[in-house]
This record gives sequence, C-alpha cells and structure tokens, in this order.
Amino acid sequence: MTAAVRCDGVVQIYKTRDLEIVALRDVDLVIAQGETVALLGPSGAGKSTLMWLMAGLLRPSAGRLRINGTDVSRLSPGALDRMRAADIGVVLQNPGRNLIPYATAAQNVAFAQRAARTDRRRAAALLDRVGLGGMRRRAGAMSGGEQQRLAVAVALANAPRLLLADEPTSQLDDDSGRAVIGLIEQAAEENGTTVVVVTHDAAVSRALGRTITIRDGKVGAEGRHGEEFVVVGREGGVQLPPEFHELLPPGSMARVEALPDGVALRRAES
Amino acid sequence: MSARSRGLTLRGLWERRGLSLAVLVVTVVSVATSALGPIFAEAAGTALVRGVLNQAAPEGRGWRITARDADVSPLADRFRSGAAFLGTPVNGAELPGRDPRGGVVRPVIYQDDVCAHLVLVKGRCPANGGEVIASQASRLDAGKVVRVAGLAVAPAPGEVIAARAELAPLRVVGVYRPRDINDPYWFGGNLFAQTAGSSESKADPLFTVEETRRATQATVQWTHWSIVSIDPTKITAADLPRLEELTAAAPRLGLAQAPVITLSRVPDTMLEVRAQTGTLGVPALLVIAQLVALGWLLLYLTVSDLVAARAPEIALARLRGQGRLRVWRFALAEPVLLLALALAAGLALGMRLAQVVAAALLPGQVALALPPAGVLAGAAVPLGGLVAAVIAARGMAVRPVTEEWRRTPRRRARGWVIDAIVLSLTALGLVELLAAGVITQTSGQTSAALAVPGLLALGVALLACRVVPFLAGRLFRASRRAGGIGAFLALRQIARGRATAGSLIVLCTAFGMAVFATAAWDVTSANFERVARVHNGAAGVLELRAGSVAELRAAVEAADPGGRHAAPVIVMPGPPKMIATDPARFAHVADWAAARPGTDAARLTAGLAGPPGTPRLMVRGERIRLRIGPVKVPDKWEPTLFADFRVPGSTLVKSIPLGPIGPATMEWGLPPECRAATCELRALRAEVTVLDEVTTNASMFADVKRIEVRTGGRWREIDAGLTDRARWSGTASAGEDGLSLMIPLFGGAKAVPATFPRHLPALVNGPIDGELTPGLDQNFAAGHAVLGERAPLPGLSEPGAIVDLELADRAALGIAPEARFEVWVAAGRLEQVAAALKAQGHPVSPARTPDQLVSRYTTQGPGLALALMLAAALAAGALALGRAVLALYGAARRRGYELAALAATGAKPGELRAALLLEQLITLAAGTLNGAGAGLLAARVALPRVPEFATAPSTPPLLYEPSLGPVALVAGAALVVAFAAVALTAEALLRGIRADRLRQAQP
Repeated sequence: MTAAVRCDGVVQIYKTRDLEIVALRDVDLVIAQGETVALLGPSGAGKSTLMWLMAGLLRPSAGRLRINGTDVSRLSPGALDRMRAADIGVVLQNPGRNLIPYATAAQNVAFAQRAARTDRRRAAALLDRVGLGGMRRRAGAMSGGEQQRLAVAVALANAPRLLLADEPTSQLDDDSGRAVIGLIEQAAEENGTTVVVVTHDAAVSRALGRTITIRDGKVGAEGRHGEEFVVVGREGGVQLPPEFHELLPPGSMARVEALPDGVALRRAES
Repeated sequence: MSARSRGLTLRGLWERRGLSLAVLVVTVVSVATSALGPIFAEAAGTALVRGVLNQAAPEGRGWRITARDADVSPLADRFRSGAAFLGTPVNGAELPGRDPRGGVVRPVIYQDDVCAHLVLVKGRCPANGGEVIASQASRLDAGKVVRVAGLAVAPAPGEVIAARAELAPLRVVGVYRPRDINDPYWFGGNLFAQTAGSSESKADPLFTVEETRRATQATVQWTHWSIVSIDPTKITAADLPRLEELTAAAPRLGLAQAPVITLSRVPDTMLEVRAQTGTLGVPALLVIAQLVALGWLLLYLTVSDLVAARAPEIALARLRGQGRLRVWRFALAEPVLLLALALAAGLALGMRLAQVVAAALLPGQVALALPPAGVLAGAAVPLGGLVAAVIAARGMAVRPVTEEWRRTPRRRARGWVIDAIVLSLTALGLVELLAAGVITQTSGQTSAALAVPGLLALGVALLACRVVPFLAGRLFRASRRAGGIGAFLALRQIARGRATAGSLIVLCTAFGMAVFATAAWDVTSANFERVARVHNGAAGVLELRAGSVAELRAAVEAADPGGRHAAPVIVMPGPPKMIATDPARFAHVADWAAARPGTDAARLTAGLAGPPGTPRLMVRGERIRLRIGPVKVPDKWEPTLFADFRVPGSTLVKSIPLGPIGPATMEWGLPPECRAATCELRALRAEVTVLDEVTTNASMFADVKRIEVRTGGRWREIDAGLTDRARWSGTASAGEDGLSLMIPLFGGAKAVPATFPRHLPALVNGPIDGELTPGLDQNFAAGHAVLGERAPLPGLSEPGAIVDLELADRAALGIAPEARFEVWVAAGRLEQVAAALKAQGHPVSPARTPDQLVSRYTTQGPGLALALMLAAALAAGALALGRAVLALYGAARRRGYELAALAATGAKPGELRAALLLEQLITLAAGTLNGAGAGLLAARVALPRVPEFATAPSTPPLLYEPSLGPVALVAGAALVVAFAAVALTAEALLRGIRADRLRQAQP
C-alpha cells in the first residue's frame, strides 16, 4: 500500500539575506494511509516547515518527499496546486488566518471548493457537522472556537486524503479544543483521511495514533501506543530524549556496548 | 465573474472601505485632473479658433466660388460635404446689366434669402420672374418698370433670337436699403456704390429671384457664385485638420463646363489659427504629461496598499490550491473594479471641472466635448494603478506562500535601478533644458526637458527617501543613549524606511509639482501684470478721433486743466514704435512704476522738450513772393529756387518752383491746400542746371530779403526771421543782408527753418535699427538723441522711443493715417476725463486698461495651461497629503500590537503619543519641505524656458523670481493640514491601544 507521506532524507534550507538556516536535515519518515500523527517538538525545531512541505507549499532543498506516492519535487506549480486542491486540507495555527473574515461560513467553505468542485451539499453537511449549519455571521465576528471549527470544515471541504493541522487547539479553551480534535478524529475514522497535526498539546497527541518528535530539524523520537522510541537516523545517530540529558549531558563521552537486541550507552568517566 | 465572486468582491471592498475609498478618490481626482487638460485644451483651442475667425474679415472665413454661365452650387455642396462647421452655401448670380440710356452698370442679382439682409423700405420682396426690388438711392419707386441692357425678352419656342431683342421689362415691387454692407452675406461683391454716394459708373443692384433668369434671355453672361462660410459658433479645434484639407482643396475646385475662380483669404486666417493654437500645445503637453505621471505615482502607491491589504486572502487562495489564473483574477478583482468605476466617475468629474474652468477663463460659450485625448489621458492614470495591482499581485502570486505567515517577514533591500533611471532622466532633462531656449515645439527632442519639473521633484523624492531614514538611523543611535522613548521609537520606525518611503516619495513629488505650479503661476501672473501695465502705458487709455496735434492738445487741456491726470499721446506703430506726448503731463500720468520702478519721471522727461523752439513759418493764401537781393549768376548756370511746404492731409513735402534765380522778385502760386488751411514753409531750395560744359567749380549766393504771402488779394510779409541766425539752418546763413543761400554747382542748396533740433531728444527702451524713429509722418526721417539709459518705457510694447509731441509735430511733414490719437489717464481719473472729453463733443471709445490685457494673456494658450496646471497640481498635492496621512495611519495601526506590548510593559501613553506624532510629523514635514525645495529648484531652472505668452514680448524683460508668499502659503497650508491630520489620527490610534489586545492574535 502506498504511504500517505514518505520523506527520504529531506533537507530544507531557508536563505536569508546574510545566512542560510537548515530547518530540516535528513528527515526520513513514513506515514501510512489513514494514520493519525502528532508532530511534536520545541519551537523552531522544524515542525511547521515539515508540515508546509507535506502541504506542497515548499519544495525540499534536498531529499525526496512523496505525497500519496507522488514526488512533489517533480510536480509543476500547477500540478502542485491541483494536488493541494484535491488531496490536501490545511488548518493553520491562527484560526483567523484560515478564513476570509468578511465572508460567511458557507462562503468560506465555497471559497475552498473553488479550486476543486463546488459541492454545496457537502459544504452544508460539513457545516452541520462542525455545528455551524445555518450560521449567517461573517467569520470575523465568530468566536475563536467557532472560527477553528469552521477552519476544519474549510480544510475538509474537498474531502482531502491528507489533513494537516498546525496547532489547531493552541488558542482555544478546553471544550473548543476537544471539539476540534473530535472533528479531526471523526474525519480520519469516517473517510480514512490521513491526519498530521503539529501540536504542543498533550491531549491532542494522546488522541492521535502516533507521535513524531522533531528536534533540531531531525526526527528525534516516535511514540506509539503510549510508548516513546528514539529513532536511529540515516547515519546511525540517535537523539537522546531530554529526560536522559542528566545521565548523558550533551558533550559528554559514552561507550557503546553491544547487546543482543541492540546497544547500550554508558558514560565514559574521564 | 459569478454572482458569488462578485458578492465576495463587493464585501471585500466594504471590508477595506477606507483603502477602497482612498483608491476611488485618488483615481477619480487624478483621472479628472488628467482628463481636464485635454478637455480644456480642446475647448481653449476651440475658443482660440473662434476668436481668430470672429476677428477675420468675411474673406478670411469663407470661400466665394464663381463661374461664368455655370451653376456652382453642386460644387459648393460637394466642397462642404462632411464639414458641419461650414454654413449653408449662399448661392447667387449676377448679370452685369446696363442702363440702356446712360450706360451706367446696373447689375441684376438674385441671391438666396436676400430680403433677410436688406431693409425693405417699401413694397415687398420679389416672388416671381420679372420682379425686382431697387435701392432707395436709385430712386426707382415701387410699381415702376425698368429695363437693363443685357436682359432681353425670352424668344418664344422655335423663334430665332433677334440681334436686337426687346429688353425684358422688370417691375419694381419693393424698395430696399442695405442693412449692413459688412455682412459676410455680401462677401465678394462691391454692390452698393450708389447708396454710398458714388453713382458715376455703377448703380445699386436690382435684386430679383432665380425665375427671372429662366424667364428671360441674357445677352451677356450671368456670373454664378456660391459663398461657403465657416460658422464660428460651430467650429471646434477638432475640425482644424478638416479645415486645413478644405483650405488646400479650395484653389483646385473646378468644373468641366467653365473655369472656376475661388476667392478666399482663409489661408491667412489659418496661419493665425496655427500660431494661436500652437502656443497651447507645449504648455498643455507639459501639464498633462506631468499630471498623468503624478497620478500614476499616487495610484501606484495607493493600489499597492490595497493589494497588500489583501495579501492574507491571496495566500489563502493559494493554500486552497486555486490555480494561477484564478489567484490573479481574485487578486485583481477589487482594484480593477474600483479603477473602472473611478475612470467613469473621473471622466465625468473632469468634464464638469472643465465646464467650470472654461466658464471662468474662456471667452464666449464653448460647448465641451470629451476628446479622444481626454479619454486617453484619463485612462492613462488608472493604468498606473493597474500596473501597481499587477506588480503587487504578481509578487503575491509568485513568492512562497509561507512568507505570508512568517513571524518576521524577510526584509528586502530597495534596489537602485529605478532610482538610477529617474535620476539619469532628470539629469538628461536638465541638460536639455539648460542647453535649449524657450521650448516652443512638442517634438520628442525636448521631451525630457519638458518633464524636468516632474522628474526633478521625483528625483529629490527618491533621494529624500534614502537620506531621511539614514539620518533618522544616525539620530536613533543617539536617542538610545539620551532622550525619551518617544523619540527613540519614532526615529527607529523612520530608520526602518519601509513605511516612510512611499509617503516621502508621493508627498515630495506632489508638493514639488504643486510648488512649481504655484511658482509658475505667481511668476506668470506677475509678468502678465507687469507686461500689461507697461504695454498699456497708463491706468486707462482713451482713443480719440482728433484731426491734428492741436486738436488733441486742446481736448486734453480742457479735460484736465491741472495737467496731472491726462496726457495727449500720439502713437506711431513700429517697429520702432514712437510715442509723442506732452512730457510734463506724461510724467504724471504714465505708469512708471511698472516700467521703471523708482525712477524720477519728471526729471527723466524734462529733457524731451529740448530748448525753446523758434517760430514756425505758417502760411495761408494764394501766392508766395520772395524778394531777392542782386545776384551774380555764373556763366552757363541756370539756378532755380523752390519752396517746400508741409500741407494739410499729406505726409509728403509739397514743392513749388519759384522760378530761375536772377530777378529781384520771385512769385508763384501756393499749393491749393494752403488756400483753405494753414501750411508750413519747410525749406527754400536751389538747384542748378548747367547749360553747357563748365570747368569751374564755383558757387553763387542768393540773398532772400523778404517773404510775402498774398491772401485775399493783399500781400503780407511773414515773420521769417531772415536776419536771425538762430532761425535758419542748412546751406544758408541768416544775417543783416537777409537769408543768404550759398548755391554750389552740384548738390544744390537748402535753407531750413530751425524749428526743431536735428536729433529729437528721446527716451529709448532698447536698440533701434538705424536709430531713426518713424516720426508722425512715418517718413523715418527723424533721428533721436537718447536721454538716459535704454530701459523699459510705459506704452512701448516693442523697441521704440518716446519724444516730445511738439517737437515731433514740428519735425513731421504731416500725421500719417497709422497714427493713433490717445488720451492717457491716471489711475482713478478715467471716468472724470472721459466725461470731460465727451462734454467737448469728442466720441470716446471704451478705455483700454491693463486688466484687459491681463485677461487676454490669461486666455492665451500658455496662460490657460498654467491655470490648468495650478488647479490640477494643487489637487494632486491635496491627494498626496491625504494618501500620506492614510499610509502613516495604516502603518501605525499595523504596529498596534507592538504599541500595546509597549503599553503593557509600562510605556506611558504620552510617550507613545509623542512617538507617533514625531514619526508622522518628521515624515510629512520632510516630504512637504523637500517637495517645496524641489519645486522652487524646478521653477528656477524651467520657468525661463517655459512659454508664458503666445508671442513673447520684446519688452519689458520678463522676471522669473517667484515671490515666496504663495509658495510659503502652499507649503504652510500643507503642513498645518498635515499636522492636524496627524494629531487626530495619532489620538484615534492611541485610543485603540490597550494591553488586552495582546490576547488577540498578532495581525
């Protein structure tokens, strides 16, 4: 089965006027169809960059990124637009940013459908699902929770195969946050949509099937079923989770001891 | 665009109503002011054309197409087809009939609608063949039957025309007199000699109807004509190319059956039309081009703001995968809709403004039309906005969409390419301008020079928007160490440069243009007034119909016995021009303040009269007699004596021969003119005829002892001062023995009464060819002695001289018909002097005043263009100010989050207010003052080369120093309005800054 997202040694470099910043370095990652993934990590680790790459808004500086089996590096801008319109839904961090503030809920969903196929029935059903059916107010006049629910509806307007959400609950109260997470889970369950959520919210990460922690532009760890694993990188490197830094502080030397099912790191006394 | 998209676009416009309104207002006003130029120029061109045509004689505004025995009306119809400005042709024909008895020519004429152009004294208009109307002067009463040779009774069908056919009877059914012989209807015909009092060879015509021609047999040929006239009320400037074609085609008109003669002086009129309308071209192009450019700049920035405000939505469209075309359409929908609406509204406003300006400035009623150039100029402005929208939209459609959501947007350095292009063009224009004289043609060769004011303002603006942030950056570093947070924040914001650059550019450019226009208007108005005052000469000038210098003097002395309010002036047209006047009166009355400010006029004119003149030798009678002393005539000489006279009604000397010199008495009849009026003896001349070859070169003397004139049969001696040395000059000397003429063999001898100096004392305003003034007789015989420096003088509109009236009269042989008799009147005395002259029975024409001249200059091409430029540039300045305040407000509003954060960390409202006020004040003041400086610089460089007059006056020299008052007023008013706007917007912004805003998302 084709993976929904496959990253092979993805590198992303931003160029500013004076210097280059490596946002992602040799990211290897596979997300299966229908999987729900939380991207975790400290601010500036590269989570949003990875999400924008998955959304086809950026092209990787190096490496290969496949979305639903398609190498995005080889797509023309038009093909990327079409892919984003048909297969990818995006929820941005700030609820207001996802919406045209002077348009109604229905107009916002319709605006998102412009690029694919206008489906008023689906738009109405989505708005009903997010509890905004019949809402006549302009989006700018809605509460933060309503705006974020509407943003999810807009992201799902074209029944995407991949739903990307950046901090969807960061500016919401608990109830609104739960409602939004519920909507995302529902989309995944009902339509088999692959979900990738960038979040700092533990509740969100718990609600999703898998966690991927990005540190210093690399996949540092993965969590499945409540258990956290470090990930051995392309060159054999691993990132120790911060809770082990006390035992092996950054810069300390360690001995690697082979074990039958792996290796052990022991601090080398100087 | 679907209804849903349209709805969304309209909602978006409402959402950004402030910016939308700004774009709408800027576009409407820019379109209106840009379209105003061509609309007004077209109307002004029409007014100029109509003015020239109205002043032209009938032959200057029409064609008379004639042919013998051939109807030319179809030719005239073809000629005028498609030219709505040509009136309906007046067709007619004339038979040169003769009175059968006396042989006097008595034309028989029919002409369309003739009775409308005559006064019917008796009877009715002819309606049938054989009926005529006769002139009152012809004494042919109604009911009478007349016959004219050349018009015979028509032969019956089949009858052979008799050699001496019976003349056709013409029954007089009415009596007319001409209504107006100068009516263009009569163009080309000299018809009413009998009415004018001359009936020796030609009688007034008999007017009839065309049926008369058909009902009779002509034995001489009918001459047919068609008069095609230009209707000045219908012609417009747009018709000029067609009129040029017709002018060129008229001489080539022809008929197969007869030669055609076309009489017209329209080509002369066209020369004048071209000269007048040509003066409008350069300034109008200058104004229109720069206003369009300014409109572009304003719109570029305002529309860029509008598109930038839509950046999040455009990013959203791209995020949702909308294709490029759809994103472009989405991005451009709002600005394009606004620009389209504004174009229509702007053109309508431009038409309305043009109507107002035309009503105020143009003579007569000119119906305004929207010319293609007006539409183009108007449409060129929104094109600037469209370009801005496309560039801004392209930026948003092409740049990575994620840039929109970055916490700290990447800064991009401003390039130098555009700046370098503008500065290079400015330098090129300056070089062209400084190398050229007055710009008089609109070819591409001087296009850069024409654009210098605008380019200079833009160049200074570009430099200012780099220098001001740089200086702010320097001061910002200092303000970090000292001073409050207010100055620190303000200078830091300016040093960032992004928010201030656009405002600085637009303010500096617009105010540069506004100040240039104000300075241009100020300088031009001052020159108009100065030139008008100098050319008019006095506060009021009345023209008088006087026959002589004495009559003029008497009229003025009676009207102003005190001698301080009126002066007699005779003007001889030039060049060189000559003004002859009473110096004492002239010193009081003439406008010296305009011509030579600060001069002591009385002292200056005191020398004009020269030393007291000797008596003139005035004679009146039938004969003149000279008593001559004994004369020894050399062998083979035959000397003859002549007397030269100045006679009334002529400007030529009248000589009479007094006979061979020898006898003691010489007598001859005076010229006939001297019998009824006084003549003046101007010289005694002797010429020698040699009877055979002579070898000696001797000379002889003749002593004139006495001069007598016979009047009414009695001889009377005249006081000729024959013994007074001071009273005669030339090759003669007065002494005890009388006036002794030394007569050489060759060259003759001439004794001239010394009644005036050889060189008339004169005030002169510049170099004069040959240093000869025309004299009252236009004989250019009088030289002049220049008093004082050569500088402008009242009343001299070209190089010329002012001389004493009495001396000019003595020097002249008469008064030429070209002489204008005028009474110059001091300020405030016009009505009094005019009333006094009328009371003496002098018909007084309306006074000529400097205001009339100023009005004429103002309505000429350059004056109209400058008025247009001032109005439009001030409007653009106001727009620029509004746009700058709006942009600064918008920039500060976007920083509301930052200000709220500062407030939360303890910054006092007063400090934040000071920061906002200082930032905006520095930006607005820098833009306004730099603009004012650029405008003044442009004025200094460009004004001497921009035409101000349709025909540049040769005197007085024009001044180009603008007075600082109006310029300071414009800049000051702009600053006051800017400061008020800044204070209001800063206060409004500060009210919205609260710490709880930090809970909201950063915009």
